[in-house]
Amino acid sequence: MRKIVIVLAILLLFAAPWIVSAPFFIHLMIMVLMWTVLGASWNILGGFTGQVSFGHATFLGAGAYTTMILYLKLGIAPWYGIPIGGLVAALIALPIGFICFRLRGPYFALSTLAVAEIIRLVALNWESFTNGPVGLLITTLPEVTFGGKSIDWENKIPFYYIIAVIALAAIVATYIMSRTRLGAYSLAIREDIDSAEAIGINTVQTRVAALSLSAFFAGVAGGFYAMYFRYIDPDAVFSIALSVEMVFIAVVGGLTTVAGPLIGAIVLVTFGETFRQIFLVGHLIFYGLMMMIVIRYLPEGIWGKLRLWFVTRH
Amino acid sequence: METFVQSIVSGLLTGSLYAMIGVGLTVIFGVMRIINMAHGDMVMFGMYGAFLSITFLKIDPFLSILIWIPLAFFIGVFIYRFLLKNIVPAGELNTLLYTAGLSLFIANLVLLIATGDYRTIKLKYAIMPLRPFGISVPIPLAIAFGMAILITIALYWFLVRTDTGRAIRATSQEPEAAALMGVNVDRTAIITFALGTALACSAGVLLAPSLYLYPTVGEILVAKCFVIVVLGGLGSVPGAIAGGVLLGVVESLGAVYVSVPYKDAIGFVIFLLVLLFRPSGLFGVGKS
Repeated sequence: MRKIVIVLAILLLFAAPWIVSAPFFIHLMIMVLMWTVLGASWNILGGFTGQVSFGHATFLGAGAYTTMILYLKLGIAPWYGIPIGGLVAALIALPIGFICFRLRGPYFALSTLAVAEIIRLVALNWESFTNGPVGLLITTLPEVTFGGKSIDWENKIPFYYIIAVIALAAIVATYIMSRTRLGAYSLAIREDIDSAEAIGINTVQTRVAALSLSAFFAGVAGGFYAMYFRYIDPDAVFSIALSVEMVFIAVVGGLTTVAGPLIGAIVLVTFGETFRQIFLVGHLIFYGLMMMIVIRYLPEGIWGKLRLWFVTRH
Repeated sequence: METFVQSIVSGLLTGSLYAMIGVGLTVIFGVMRIINMAHGDMVMFGMYGAFLSITFLKIDPFLSILIWIPLAFFIGVFIYRFLLKNIVPAGELNTLLYTAGLSLFIANLVLLIATGDYRTIKLKYAIMPLRPFGISVPIPLAIAFGMAILITIALYWFLVRTDTGRAIRATSQEPEAAALMGVNVDRTAIITFALGTALACSAGVLLAPSLYLYPTVGEILVAKCFVIVVLGGLGSVPGAIAGGVLLGVVESLGAVYVSVPYKDAIGFVIFLLVLLFRPSGLFGVGKS
């Protein structure tokens, strides 16, 4: 039963552009999947190890800038740039982890906020490298042939498939993590860091590993962001608001669950983007409201609650 | 030398307002262990309050503080009683996430009502700065500085001399012992939260004529608040005052002697260093 549902979901994921082909829906689905990756990324750290980061935009921005700069300065195509961007983000996560993980709980959260702000200011002012507040712009993407036909980058469908594959990879990675030692160690840290330390878990190494894996996916999503929107600037990809949105998607969907980020992204992004179409501004109002409702009434998140309900019923 | 004195003076002026915001955050943390991510939005409330007073009611922003302090107090009571009270027992991280949600909600609500336009408040008497001893002092900041000192002294008197103030300090030191001594911890929590909100809001009113107003201004202010309270030690009122003044001076010296674009980064770097090497604050009075 479970396997059938998963296979059907994957089939639906890849068939979706044929079912509804209106450009707004394709754009909406691309956004949902991009935020799924970001939510999954945050969940790998925040859900499993319980470390609340308010600075994940750092990794998104690192991935976005790596992809952009590699393409604009060295001519490396974004599809190589995106995974490289993920690796750069994972590398940046190492020093940040070793510094910030000396702090616990809310202090860790505040330190990540500070690191993210410092990095945003550096990106804003290091003009020779990042082009400062003006940002970076791609006008054309390089030509690629796939199955004998050249891909039309003006169409949104190729982007949909790229992000679908990335989102699937992020969900599979979360699943694998939940089955391995890293996941088990992380959960032990989340429950009680002192006990975890006492039974011989290297808590710093585990948390840094989780942060690095988490940063990889945020960086990949950042690379995709750069390629899809073709324009980035420090306030777009390094903002506090982005970091906070990732937290919200993961928490509203359900922490520590495999499908939670997808559910969180479907609920929040669908409402957010529709709201934006109508009112232009203030689409995050719904994020704030959902966060308050979820923390108050559904601390295990929407998917976490649904899953519990299934488990107790069957 | 003159630039040095000038930047110290401007630093002190903004620092006094930072201190007020920081004190609000730190008393709330001390009593309830809430890291209030929505604190910056309370400052934003005050700023828009001042803007509304001068545009629609034609009341001078500095006078309008008499309306906004009690109003903010009631908003604080409302927020604590109906929104936060049930979340606090769920732990520091849950309240952190909850107040982050609240912050996003408030900021976007204001964004919908007031749009994202940058607004300024122009005062007729504030065109030319004062020039005592050749140092330039903008009039709105000077008035704000004076009022901030008055409010801080009043608050200090309240905390040290009145029973409610003593109850707040006792709860902040040791909630269980305070409860055993007959302090009504619940009531103290409500008053503290309302007081913190009123402080943030009045700082907003005072800041409004010197800054640009936009709905998401709270985001950057709340980040600065954290720097201030961590510098002084979380939960310590004198620490937050010192931290606020220190941040103001460091920022203004940094803008002159390091670089203008990086002036905001200096605060965050100090913040990280203090968190890592002196987590109880520069004066060693905070709690972790």
